[in-house]
Amino acid sequence: MAARSEAVYPVGWKSGRVASWLVTVDHKRIGILYIATSLMWFVAGGILALLMRSQLATPGEHFLTKDSYNQVMTMHGTTMIFLVVIPILAGFANFLVPLMIGARDMAFPRLNALSYWLFLLGGIVLWLSWFSKGGAAHAGWWSYPTLSENFPFASPGHGQDYWILSIHILTLSSLLGAINFIVTIHNMRAPGMTWMRMPLFVWAIETYAIVLLVALPALSAAVTLLLLDRTVGTHFFIPSHGGSILLYQHMFWFFGHPEVYVMVLPVFGMISEILPVFARKPIFGYKAVAFSTLGIAFFSMLVWAHHMFTTGMPVGLDSFFMISSMVIAVPTGIKIFNWIATTWRGNLIFDTPMLFALGFIALFTMGGLSGIFLAAFPVDWQLNDSYYVVAHFHYVLFGGSAFGFFGGLYYWWPKMFGRTLDERLGKWHFWLLFVGFNLTFLPQHMLGLLGMARRIYTYHHGGLWEAYNLMSSIGSGVMALAVLVFLVNIWQAHVLRKGVRAGNDPWLADTLEWYTTSPPPAHNFDSVPYVTSARPLRDLRRRLAEQAQ
Amino acid sequence: MRRKLPTLVLAVLLALATAGVAAASNGGFTPVQPASPNAHHIQGAYYLILGFTSAIFVLVESLLVVFIWKYRSRGRSRAVEGAQVHGHTRLELIWTAFPVVILAVIAAFVFYELPSIDSAPAAADPIHITVEGHQYYWQFDYPNGARSIGKLVVPTGAVVDLKVVSPDVIHSWWIPALGGKVQAIPGRVNHTWFRADKAGTFSGQCAELCGVFHASMLGTVAAKPASSYHAYITQIGPATIGQQEWSGVCATCHGNLGQGGYGPNISSSTLLNSRSSLLGILRNGLDTSRAGAMPPVGDTWTQAQISALVAYVKKHIYKAAPAGGTSGG
Repeated sequence: MAARSEAVYPVGWKSGRVASWLVTVDHKRIGILYIATSLMWFVAGGILALLMRSQLATPGEHFLTKDSYNQVMTMHGTTMIFLVVIPILAGFANFLVPLMIGARDMAFPRLNALSYWLFLLGGIVLWLSWFSKGGAAHAGWWSYPTLSENFPFASPGHGQDYWILSIHILTLSSLLGAINFIVTIHNMRAPGMTWMRMPLFVWAIETYAIVLLVALPALSAAVTLLLLDRTVGTHFFIPSHGGSILLYQHMFWFFGHPEVYVMVLPVFGMISEILPVFARKPIFGYKAVAFSTLGIAFFSMLVWAHHMFTTGMPVGLDSFFMISSMVIAVPTGIKIFNWIATTWRGNLIFDTPMLFALGFIALFTMGGLSGIFLAAFPVDWQLNDSYYVVAHFHYVLFGGSAFGFFGGLYYWWPKMFGRTLDERLGKWHFWLLFVGFNLTFLPQHMLGLLGMARRIYTYHHGGLWEAYNLMSSIGSGVMALAVLVFLVNIWQAHVLRKGVRAGNDPWLADTLEWYTTSPPPAHNFDSVPYVTSARPLRDLRRRLAEQAQ
Repeated sequence: MRRKLPTLVLAVLLALATAGVAAASNGGFTPVQPASPNAHHIQGAYYLILGFTSAIFVLVESLLVVFIWKYRSRGRSRAVEGAQVHGHTRLELIWTAFPVVILAVIAAFVFYELPSIDSAPAAADPIHITVEGHQYYWQFDYPNGARSIGKLVVPTGAVVDLKVVSPDVIHSWWIPALGGKVQAIPGRVNHTWFRADKAGTFSGQCAELCGVFHASMLGTVAAKPASSYHAYITQIGPATIGQQEWSGVCATCHGNLGQGGYGPNISSSTLLNSRSSLLGILRNGLDTSRAGAMPPVGDTWTQAQISALVAYVKKHIYKAAPAGGTSGG
């Protein structure tokens, strides 16, 4: 069986240091590729954010021109969503799901590799669009027609076309990944791992994959119609020829809102893994946490038009979407209360992963509560498309998702690379990011309430507008510093080789990925213990302790 | 540890007091001071939600902080386990039901306030104004056929019904003091209303990304006594509309004197001096293959409006290139 041995023991040119990564179908290596690539785009997208904050620091600045501001703003949003948060979570899922369920690899390893390479390609296409005729897309990350149409005063040039092409490639990548996760989770769990013994992160990935499968085709369809409008002269979204702009909005947000949960459910899963380990307790209310994930996923598909409250929908529809959006706060609240209860009577150890997990709870709560204002549609009429919304979704996507994945990185880093990141730098990273984040985004709530619209490249108000904007820009610098500390930490651990060697299970954790070596061998496990609870490793430790007595 | 607690309490009280002062002076903690009944009622709903969410925020965050403090490791080894509590059904039910009740109260209050936000007072005889969002200005059509750009003048105390439309891309009408937003969507007609009870000038800006000059698409509503309003709309003539067109439309790109800015210097362009060439540019734009080219800013303008602009430009802007002689007037 030459083919088989070739996959496990690469020979010839395929075993080279670089080449082995290029041809890999190992889920762990693909996961690491995903995470590394996402972090690269994270730095790039972050630089765009810093450019915008520099432009907005004081009234009437001329740091960026208005054209380039709109391009930077569009690319920042698209990059952070499609090239950072979604793929970095896919990277975690790739690395962790087979290990957590005691499998040897994903169900379709080659498909898995294809997902990654498509993701990389999609990102390259998007970023090369800077060089296209007319520059990058500048119609915002949701690219509403008619501004995104191929009209002279909307989006002529090819930036928008590259944006669409990139979205096509990325949705394909995510769809293939989603199918792979579902098949893997359904079929490849270790003996004894029933649904109720599955790690909560795996629950989250199962749900994440289902949501992607349902929501992504709507986006693919919407941008396909837009592409047809732009290139072959159809009029799906051109009202003067009988098209409908609202059709695009509905299609986009039917994808766009579930998307928000795609970006946060896996992070919920990570928090549910990290908190118990550093509280030295089981998760409080395993079933409530697992089923609330499903509840959120279900309701996430019924709330999309709360992004459209100002489009003049009938009040009946507004009411429906208000109520469904409020309903989704209930399962989210259940999670937050269960996480807090998990810390109750624990032995809380404040290593960096725990700091990020607790920071996540504090910030995500804020993002969830500001969402209730936006769900109440008459209040949304006032807040929609203002900086209040910018603040809200950054509390969800940065305070939530990004704090979560940083926590995840510190937690699983020893498993991925066999070395632990430095705790002291990790704590600097956390505190700088926490302070910088609040300094950046808290004042944006106030700016929105004062009347500052989103996506403006400049403003001419002094006083509070100027003060809050300046505060926000200073905060963004502090965040940049925090990310720099993180990069230094990686450099120190791996280039200077100062990272402490981690054993199999440095945190005394609960789940199967800590059963194997750090980093795990290509085939993951020599043997997998029979799973008797949701915390197989703790069971094992107790059995060993009993035998020792 | 005992000494830290009073300090903490003091710090929290101080923070709350600061926040309170800031809120009282509206430092951005509530929507801007309402000047119309719908904005008032939105404010009411905002306060109710603020009350509930603040309470939940304080509850959740203080529980978190208290637990972090109380159950911190204090040097215990990692091997020491916390209480092995797996859950509590009654607690789960409580924190499921409790938010449901709060959300139901919020939703009920929104429905209670809704009629006074969504629909104008029935008895009133509204003034109908058409608001056209345009790259990158707001244009207002009054009932008597008069038209103004950038600034809408209305009588105080009257219900104003706005018909919000757009010929090009999506814009969003927003004067925070006078109620919420509504999008101006090509191919659709949306309505909103307000009633400015006191005289004053209220400003806002387009809230939906509409292109390069999105940030410059400002709007102002001036509420004046009924007599001044009537005087205004009857007096809007060639002179005023020409000036508004120049400063609200042309000057955005070309500068107040036509000296150039985002667009080129046009103060001595001969195109300005001819009605037909100006008409062509206003209707069709210029150099349209290029991104950021001149849009057809006047594609919905009347002949009278065009003439008004031509007259204004000839009188105040155009300077023949070398000699600087004035033409016409």
